[in-house]
Amino acid sequence: MSSKTPLYDRHVSLGGRVVDFAGWELPVQYEGVLAEHRHCRGSAVVFDTSHMGQFLISGPEAAGQLNRIGTQNAGTMPPGACRYGFLLNEDGGVIDDTILMRLGVDEFLLVVNAGPSAGDLLWLGEHLGGAVEITDRSSDGWGKIDLQGPLSARVLQAMVNIDLRTMGYYKVARGECCGRQCIVSRTGYTGELGYEIMAPGADLRVIFDELLARDEVKPAGLGARDSLRLEMGYPLCGHELSADHNPVEAGLGAFLEPCRDFIGSPAVDALKDIPGPRKLIAFRAESRRRANPGDDILWDGQIVGAVTSGAFSPSLEISIGMGYVRSPLSEPGRRLVVNTARGELPVTVSRKPLYRDGTCRTRHPL
Amino acid sequence: MIPEELLFTDQHEWARVEGNIATVGISDYAQNALGDITFVELPAVGENLDKGDEACAIESAKAAASIYAPLGGKVLEVNSDLEDDPGLINSEPYARGWIYKIEPSDPAQTGSLMGAGKYEEFLAAQEDH
Repeated sequence: MSSKTPLYDRHVSLGGRVVDFAGWELPVQYEGVLAEHRHCRGSAVVFDTSHMGQFLISGPEAAGQLNRIGTQNAGTMPPGACRYGFLLNEDGGVIDDTILMRLGVDEFLLVVNAGPSAGDLLWLGEHLGGAVEITDRSSDGWGKIDLQGPLSARVLQAMVNIDLRTMGYYKVARGECCGRQCIVSRTGYTGELGYEIMAPGADLRVIFDELLARDEVKPAGLGARDSLRLEMGYPLCGHELSADHNPVEAGLGAFLEPCRDFIGSPAVDALKDIPGPRKLIAFRAESRRRANPGDDILWDGQIVGAVTSGAFSPSLEISIGMGYVRSPLSEPGRRLVVNTARGELPVTVSRKPLYRDGTCRTRHPL
Repeated sequence: MIPEELLFTDQHEWARVEGNIATVGISDYAQNALGDITFVELPAVGENLDKGDEACAIESAKAAASIYAPLGGKVLEVNSDLEDDPGLINSEPYARGWIYKIEPSDPAQTGSLMGAGKYEEFLAAQEDH
């Protein structure tokens, strides 16, 4: 049985093609993946991301406890800061990638992926000690929407009592949107300027409707969400990240502060010193043919890796993807071949992001 | 509206027979189900296909599909406009979105295909399920 988000009825009435995704009924598209993707790059779109886990972690020992279990150094985050990081196993393998938001001195929100969410909650319960309380907001009927696109600040500013001009990238604030209490963070996973809005389901429906009443905003589904993140070279848990992969080989070692003590830190500290056998690459293909997860990557006729994600890039109008290959073959410019089920696809290792005009870091959101 | 002269398979391919040439494409229903088409692997000109053979493959932003030959014969021509603009199949499935042309080896094979009216009934019956 799949779960429905607070916006399920909206997806149906908007003509969304609803599929099962990690146990949730969510739209893969409304109008079409390509149009939604381009609308995000050029204007603004709104995604229902209510399937993601939201855990409120509070108490006087919250920062100290989070420090110990996640890669984010919670103690050094000022209230209002967000930080990307990981929950790791003892071997340094990725349980999940997360965004930690510090709402107050003693209050954090951990946003996690839908698939691993239930496991994450158990894991947090096992490992968080001391005077810390965990509340699963997603099972309390809260939801989340992501408003993403270069015009998102202009649209949202008319609806919120937060000054978006001064709200930087990876910042979070409590406020009101359409007169409803909510949490707004300047984050997202598309590469564009954008905001995530978290609120109880009934309030989220009001905000979602109000956003769609604006000419600049269209709804977008999981299909566009995937091609947008892939153009940025952002990893997706279950594809590029898993218990078999560590953040260092995924090229995300910069998110691991050295000399910190958290679960998995001895393993990843050791990995930073020795070059690992494989590395995550992004690639551009020489045609529109898609590479699919699991396809072998070849060099000189030998299997040297495997594809983890592939899609047609609407911005670059070529097939793109990511995958793990032997480290010496991971330098940009290296030509490799993906062995798809229907034929060989020549590809070139490319620097991330593949799409370079994203607006997410702009200093002038308005 | 489905052009009346077209013949259809139950896999949603269409064929338009004019003299000893048949043009092949996929139906509006099929393009809509696939969503935005991003890549078409065209058959090779000169290739001989039997009825029901996999003639080519289509990838969309969210799916992939095989296209089966509605009629057997030799491939005479392919729509190379689809290489740069596969979305023609979405926008004009019965016109500029055609995929390939063949010389049918057995004109009697058209007898197993559905006419436009029958295909519409077939689609309506599918919707009921």
